[in-house]
Amino acid sequence: MHTVALVLSDSRFPGGGHVHSGGLEEAAARGLVSDIRSLGLFLAGRLRTAGELAAIFAAASVKCHEWSTLDEELDARTPSPAQREASRAQGRATVRAGRRAWPSPVLDSLVQATPRPHHAIVLGALTGIAGGSSADAALTAAYLSVSGPASAAIRLLGLDPFAVNAQVTRLGEAIQAVADRAVSVAGLPPADLPGPGAPGLDLLAEAHVRHHKEEVRLFAS
Amino acid sequence: MKAHARVVAELVDGRTVLRELRSQSPLTLVPHRGKPGLVHLVNSASAPLGGDELDLTLIAGPGAALRIAGVAASLVLPGPKPALSRFTVHVEAAEGSTVEYLPEATVVTQRAHHAAVFTGSLEPSARLIVREMLVLGREGESPGRLTSETTVRRGERPVLSQRLEIDSLIASPAVLAGRRVLATDLRVGYEDPPSAVAGEWCSLVPLAAGGSLATALAHDAVAAQRMIGLLNRSG
Amino acid sequence: MQADHVHTHPVNFDPTWSEPDHHEPAAEQGRAYRIGIGGPVGSGKTALTAALCRAFRGELNLAVVTNDIYTTEDADFLRRAGVLDVDRIEAVQTGCCPHTAIRDDITANLDAVETLEERHPGLELVIIESGGDNLTAVFSRGLVDRQIFVVDVAGGDKVPRKGGPGVTTADLLVINKIDLAPLVGADLEVMASDAARMRGELPVIAQSLAETPDAPVVADWVRSQLPVRTG
Repeated sequence: MHTVALVLSDSRFPGGGHVHSGGLEEAAARGLVSDIRSLGLFLAGRLRTAGELAAIFAAASVKCHEWSTLDEELDARTPSPAQREASRAQGRATVRAGRRAWPSPVLDSLVQATPRPHHAIVLGALTGIAGGSSADAALTAAYLSVSGPASAAIRLLGLDPFAVNAQVTRLGEAIQAVADRAVSVAGLPPADLPGPGAPGLDLLAEAHVRHHKEEVRLFAS
Repeated sequence: MKAHARVVAELVDGRTVLRELRSQSPLTLVPHRGKPGLVHLVNSASAPLGGDELDLTLIAGPGAALRIAGVAASLVLPGPKPALSRFTVHVEAAEGSTVEYLPEATVVTQRAHHAAVFTGSLEPSARLIVREMLVLGREGESPGRLTSETTVRRGERPVLSQRLEIDSLIASPAVLAGRRVLATDLRVGYEDPPSAVAGEWCSLVPLAAGGSLATALAHDAVAAQRMIGLLNRSG
Repeated sequence: MQADHVHTHPVNFDPTWSEPDHHEPAAEQGRAYRIGIGGPVGSGKTALTAALCRAFRGELNLAVVTNDIYTTEDADFLRRAGVLDVDRIEAVQTGCCPHTAIRDDITANLDAVETLEERHPGLELVIIESGGDNLTAVFSRGLVDRQIFVVDVAGGDKVPRKGGPGVTTADLLVINKIDLAPLVGADLEVMASDAARMRGELPVIAQSLAETPDAPVVADWVRSQLPVRTG
């Protein structure tokens, strides 16, 4: 594994990730996630849906630099506007940090083509620029899809951090499997990349935004 | 069993005519006598069954209006031997045409293993409505395995590409939150909602490339259908 | 269904709402001067922010980023104070980590500052109000040019003695609500001498917004920090 994967998946990476709960805040507000068991189910579902989609596009973006095409294809796989916005907000934040860490004409071309790129595409681009592989990018994206919400669960629900950490660790094989599947399709033309959907997350994301306008939420997503 | 049914609609003198209408059991297409362009889709046998490969191709020429309406829910059953059943629907919609694909619910029974594939290829001025209702198991029954894929492109741009896999994770709040019915209503080429409308378990959202998608998760088909109806009215 | 359910707020909470993009960091020259206001919950950060807005009205091209919005009431406070147009206030979500948002990962705050700079060309001063936190929370130098740490006498006269980076390193320490000192049994002299001991040469201002609602001494300090304006 290349160190870029460690840097990008570190919760200390200043890419704005800490303000996104990936639907966890809404799920917690409704009582759908309230303990370690329900958190585990939430995370496992998130990994296999949103996590796999992110892993696929992160892996593809390591070598494929057709930024506008990748952007359109990921948009088509993200029907929820709230999810698209959360992805672009994190993408832009990651670009901000990435430009200082890995300045590159490749990154410039990404920002020129898509001023607010999707998070997964930025992860792939930065991984490639730093010399990492599609496997590094896929693993990073898959891990981030559960580590962020897990951290949000600690903050919102006061869950035992050791238990939450153990829960994330138990997903290790599943994270690797998602990354492996992503790498196996990463070389396809962008139009043929799979688009695993997450109806539950999409609905939670839209409801999160709606509630936000009414009563303020603590996370951006 | 392999079957391929096909409809080709064309606009002739301002009126949609069915240039071609080919049924193949178990896919039976019955044109409505009074309404040009309306065709009923009748599942003539208990289908699809494990091992079946069913294809339905819908082609609308420039300006034509084609509506395929289901008659009854289709019950996806396991075959005598464990095998995947597959139902593929392909739509090609030319300039100025309208295709509406409105099947009844698909019920995935226990031990069934089914793939539902929908692909749409639209010219920029074509219009499309696709309604889908997936029911995971009959009342009190745990569902079999299902993969549902929807891909719609308009001109050069992708509009929607979604794959849903039904497996042990449907109980996850991230996936189906343990709800048994997923209803969706995709519209392309109609007036899109200016912004998302969301209820607790349903939403109507504008897609990035134009078009809109209504989604509802419910414990039963009636509730899901009611949510979709409300969303499309309020949007 | 919420289709016709419209809420209006002085501050835009809508995370899907966005303005034209601004990816290039604002040029160091010509960008607005940024002052952070931090301090524990209830010490009077929002009140000081409102006071400074009043003091600089008509004098400075000013905007506010607030990390302190936990409920809409906080936003309404600034609006009701009538001190700033609502399009000059941006709210930031901190994901339950107010100190992270101003120190470790300042992304959301930088986004908010740049949004304000783009919306109000020629912006001279941005006040960034942190969420209420403990005595260890300080602003990153990557986010602000100067920072003010606010404590109040009601928190007890031992607060300055406790120290912490906020008390010891902030460019200005404000001791608020001094009018309450007799009521809460706080010894102002002890606070002032402790603060001086902890801070060395760094300035301390004791004030009461009840008595001087426009915070004139703090406002003068802010003026003294601003880069010399030309033209």
